[in-house]
Amino acid sequence: MSAVQVKNLSVQFGDFFAVKDLSFSVEKGEVFGFLGANGAGKTTTIRVLCGLLLPSAGQASVCGLDVLSDAFEVKKKVGYMSQKFTLYDDLTVKENLDFTSALRKMEPEKFREQKEKLLKMIRFKSSEDILVRDLPGGIKQQVSLVAAVLHDPEIVFLDEPTAGVSPAFRQRFWKLIGGLAAEGKTVFVTTHYMDEAEQCGRIALMKSGELIALDSPQELKRNSFPDREPQEVSLEDVFIEQVEGG
Amino acid sequence: MRLRSVWAVAKKEVFHIVRDPFTLALAMGMPVIMVIFFGYAIEFNMKQISLAVFDSSKSQSSRQLQKTFVSSSYFQSLAVLSPAEAIQALDEGRAHAALLIPPAYAENLRPRSESSVQILIDGADNSSAGSILGYLGGIQQKVLSAEFGPYSEPITVQTRFLFNSELNSRWFVVPGLSAAIIAILSILLTALTVAREWENGSMELLLSTPVRPVEIILGKLLPYSVMGLVAVFFVFIMSQIVFAVPFRGNFLVYLLACLIFLSTYLAQGLLISVVTRKQQLSMQMAMLSGLLPTILLSGFIFPVEHMPRFFYYLTMILPARWFISLSRDLFLKGASLQNILPGFLALCALFVLMMVLATRKFKKDVEP
Ligand SMILES: Nc1ncnc2c1ncn2[C@@H]1O[C@H](COP(=O)(O)OP(=O)(O)OP(=O)(O)O)[C@@H](O)[C@H]1O
Ligand SMILES: [Mg+2]
Repeated sequence: MSAVQVKNLSVQFGDFFAVKDLSFSVEKGEVFGFLGANGAGKTTTIRVLCGLLLPSAGQASVCGLDVLSDAFEVKKKVGYMSQKFTLYDDLTVKENLDFTSALRKMEPEKFREQKEKLLKMIRFKSSEDILVRDLPGGIKQQVSLVAAVLHDPEIVFLDEPTAGVSPAFRQRFWKLIGGLAAEGKTVFVTTHYMDEAEQCGRIALMKSGELIALDSPQELKRNSFPDREPQEVSLEDVFIEQVEGG
Repeated sequence: MRLRSVWAVAKKEVFHIVRDPFTLALAMGMPVIMVIFFGYAIEFNMKQISLAVFDSSKSQSSRQLQKTFVSSSYFQSLAVLSPAEAIQALDEGRAHAALLIPPAYAENLRPRSESSVQILIDGADNSSAGSILGYLGGIQQKVLSAEFGPYSEPITVQTRFLFNSELNSRWFVVPGLSAAIIAILSILLTALTVAREWENGSMELLLSTPVRPVEIILGKLLPYSVMGLVAVFFVFIMSQIVFAVPFRGNFLVYLLACLIFLSTYLAQGLLISVVTRKQQLSMQMAMLSGLLPTILLSGFIFPVEHMPRFFYYLTMILPARWFISLSRDLFLKGASLQNILPGFLALCALFVLMMVLATRKFKKDVEP
């Protein structure tokens, strides 16, 4: 069973199609990159998959549960790091995590274990009583990731988790993503950075709400530039060729 | 519904409140400022009415009359030697009113006769002029019973029905203070807090967890209900201890009315923030639909009976109008639930209407 299955999905706002006739599936344990220019429909697709938005047409299922009929169950199984909001700035790290665990209805014992494990994983050194607004941006994103996977979800959706973060922190963040995948979690991630996309198992390229390519980075390079060696081609070139050129 | 989620949301809200100087100042300071301003400042003015007295009767009775004025504690007497001096005192603002007692005052003061005094009031300040006029009725009655003894049964009975015989402004304003404070705390703060979650995108993150909309809403409203109730108790205690406004009704009925009124305004704040989703707009809407009507149109300061017809009928859709009028009835007249039933039912109807509108709109919005 696939972690995510999307079939002929469309999302319409008035006359405008934010997502149009989209079909793809994501396997368990995969790091799935979701790429596209601004307004391509990435966030909209993720919102549908998290049970936050109803599709206008088509079907989508997550962990075998239909997002239309089982939105509430879907929410229990997924973790979500939103593009717009991560943590409450005026709450401490501890208060933010306590809050998430309560909303996720976690057992205190499980919460304690998970928190300890995840904070260790991100090598969190400051006090948990520090206000989030006093954390450096990169650390804040990492704590936000901890909050998203606190309840040990099977799949986690990360919507531009590294936007506005320094290169060193971006690298660290992707190590964490690799770690989650190694644990068998499915990671569904959007990004605008091509070096990050390079580290995905497969990449979906979106343009104006439509899927224009879906493959591993290697295959994408080979298919876009059949006459060049894949090592010489960067994903940047592929992106320009596919999205902005064609 | 899980109480744990409600509690978690409420706790988080409390953190927001105590860490935001604006909210905290509004929540803690506003009730105190309002009580001082509307209760104490107005009362202070009223007590300072200085009365120039020219007594040409110089009799037992005229001294009794002066004593009645002074002992009501709203007047301070200022003896003058001639009517001209009294007028001069008025002109210079040393006196707000003057009492001129004619030489024949005492002689004429007997049954089936008419004795009169002249009272001059500085009409420039028409609010205190109105209050002074109001006091006169009460003083006249006191003089009558002092002169002719308490045998005048009908008068005594009548006084019991006059709930604010000396037109004590404080007695009029203080029972309505809770309404004004709740309007600020509930409508304004709830409208802001829910709009903030929409505006910064955290509402979406909340909704991505298996938490029910009703849990979010109850958790969000809980701290503001508690704050509103604390303010109600604060005003009530102040009204009893500092302002000595009588409370003659049933406290449980009053508390129930407060709760219904509070919930109506919480629902209104929720509705505003769900519709606008922006803090700025929410704030303006809260001012326009909550705060201003509550202060200007509810009868809090300006009696609804004196409003132009259109506004008089308009006030009927304001929860505050019903709440304030029944608060006054409970405080001053000792009304029973039966007496205030029409107002109570109107309040309940507005409460149900607002709750249904707010929760419907919210549910429709958050359910994908
Ligand atoms: N609620 C909405 N109502 C109307 N239009 C919307 C709504 N949400 C999104 N859109 C539009 O749908 C399109 C796709 O938006 P979406 O947020 O999915 O893009 P995105 O790929 O995530 O872009 P970005 O990289 O900027 O985050 C955009 O043109 C956006 O303006
Ligand atoms: Mg987006």
